[in-house]
Amino acid sequence: MQFVRLVVFGFLILSVIYLCITLYSRSIRREKLEDEWDENPPEGATPDKRAAFIKDGMTKYESGLRKKLILLVFIIPPLVVGTIIYFIN
Amino acid sequence: MRNIRRVLRIALFLIIGLWLHYVMPQRDIARVTSTEIIRTDFSSLNRMFYAQADSGTVENPTRDLRLVNTERKATYLFGLIRGNNETMVFRNEDTGWIYPPYFKFDSSDLQAEAAAAISTTEPYEWVVVTHYGWRLRWASIYPNAVSIRTIEVPEGQSPEDYRPFPWVNLIIYALLIAGLLFVRAMWRQFRERTVDPLADKVGDQYDHVSADLSERKGRISRWLGTWRKK
Repeated sequence: MQFVRLVVFGFLILSVIYLCITLYSRSIRREKLEDEWDENPPEGATPDKRAAFIKDGMTKYESGLRKKLILLVFIIPPLVVGTIIYFIN
Repeated sequence: MRNIRRVLRIALFLIIGLWLHYVMPQRDIARVTSTEIIRTDFSSLNRMFYAQADSGTVENPTRDLRLVNTERKATYLFGLIRGNNETMVFRNEDTGWIYPPYFKFDSSDLQAEAAAAISTTEPYEWVVVTHYGWRLRWASIYPNAVSIRTIEVPEGQSPEDYRPFPWVNLIIYALLIAGLLFVRAMWRQFRERTVDPLADKVGDQYDHVSADLSERKGRISRWLGTWRKK
């Protein structure tokens, strides 16, 4: 019963953490793209082109490896728990 | 106001510090003198200082408690010696799946190990008892022994001088601090990118509205002014 409780609540908490990290990482990426454009805008830059550049970068990010790495949030804690169980018992 | 906040902050630090001192693993050098089992009736005062019944069994208001009686060497806190060689009693309970997260299920085996390490005649056999928790006599609570291992003595040292280095604690504290900094960075990013622009927008709107209002007032008073005698 305790084990079920751990799994259910652990999953809920990890989901919240996953969500927070996803939002944070996305926000950081967008800020970086904005800074990259603003620091060195190409010839004939318009707000539309800037938005397109950022949108392009964000689609690349959404399908990239970095985004998938956040899934490690669900993988590492069970591994840690497994290691603790192995060493304690 | 400032003093209240200061007191609250100190209280928070104290509580977190005490809690960490309670749940973090500590290691004592000790000599097991006997093991025993006592029947325990918990009160509402000391119930929270005990774990639960053995993993996989049913929780009842009363149960047997495994104890390990030892004589232990003086311990250290931040490098300072505290206490002398004294007797120390450890309880030996499963922590189970939840709290604190030691995931200890092998109380019976540990009790057997403790019994095997009983040493009452010289030369004594010293062991490292990893444990968490406090011994409070007035509340009848004991630290929970997590593991017992015999000491591997380096050349030219007596086992009694052996001082294990708290690597595990170091790693846990480092991870805690890293996590705290990460949460702080997340919070700052959230404020910078989400809350502040929103507040700016609201402030902007407020400015517009109040400018509009004063403009309108100005128009009305100007119109009124046309009726005044010049």
